[in-house]
Amino acid sequence: MMIETLKRGFNNGLATTYQLARVVIPVYFIITFLSHTPLLHVVSDFMSPLMKLVGLPGEASLPLVLGFFLNIYAAIGAVLPLNLSIKEITIIAAMLLMAHSLPMETAISKMTGVKVSFLVLARIILAFILGAFFNLVM
Amino acid sequence: MEIGEIINSALVGSLKSIAQIALIVIPLMICIEIFKEFKLLEKVTVIADPVTRCLGLSREANLPIMAGLVFGISYGGGLIINSAREGKLTYREIYIINLFLVICHSVFEDTLLFAAIGAKWVPILFARIVLAVIICYLVAKFVLIQD
Repeated sequence: MMIETLKRGFNNGLATTYQLARVVIPVYFIITFLSHTPLLHVVSDFMSPLMKLVGLPGEASLPLVLGFFLNIYAAIGAVLPLNLSIKEITIIAAMLLMAHSLPMETAISKMTGVKVSFLVLARIILAFILGAFFNLVM
Repeated sequence: MEIGEIINSALVGSLKSIAQIALIVIPLMICIEIFKEFKLLEKVTVIADPVTRCLGLSREANLPIMAGLVFGISYGGGLIINSAREGKLTYREIYIINLFLVICHSVFEDTLLFAAIGAKWVPILFARIVLAVIICYLVAKFVLIQD
């Protein structure tokens, strides 16, 4: 029974890694290519005033949006090619941990029968508060 | 930069990161299966007691909160639905548990994914738990929650 449990855990770990790889690799490629085109700079310049509030460069808005709407895997795929500093990675990690997979996780909350509008709003606002906090204290 | 170099750097960079993450995720999933197999979580739900008591929730809230914290929001959500169906949780309690879990859930897996790519995870985890308790406390105390 113990062996079965270990095997199941190992397989779950492999499955998660596979799911992750399936998202991280394409996103990583797309962002790497984008970083060699003017498009990333356009987005970056546009978002940079907002991102400055949390001490992140404008292009970090991409993983943030991907994380909010898709999931953490997509966000990680987009964070990696940006070559952020440890401080910046910590800030964006805190923000993404606070708010990610919003459509899917909100659907789960909804299934438990509660009104969800405040829950979503609270997560996004808290993400920015937490980002600003880590920017200040680190 | 040449196109070949770009492809090469993207391939190496992404595969390396995935290997790093696999080294964390696989042992973690094994631990989580052991927890589930021996129902360890059910035995340690008292850990959540100070939090649930502080938020004015019944002890019935302990298991969904612990499960959401350790196994993730879908697992916690499933347990909320179960308890609610058996009439053990009020709407107010269900709302507060949801609020707690959307702010702070799957604290091992999600946190370690970011640790694998270099984030300082201890302060983040601490901040999430503290924020979840504070926000839930304020909402439980000052906001009228009704069906």
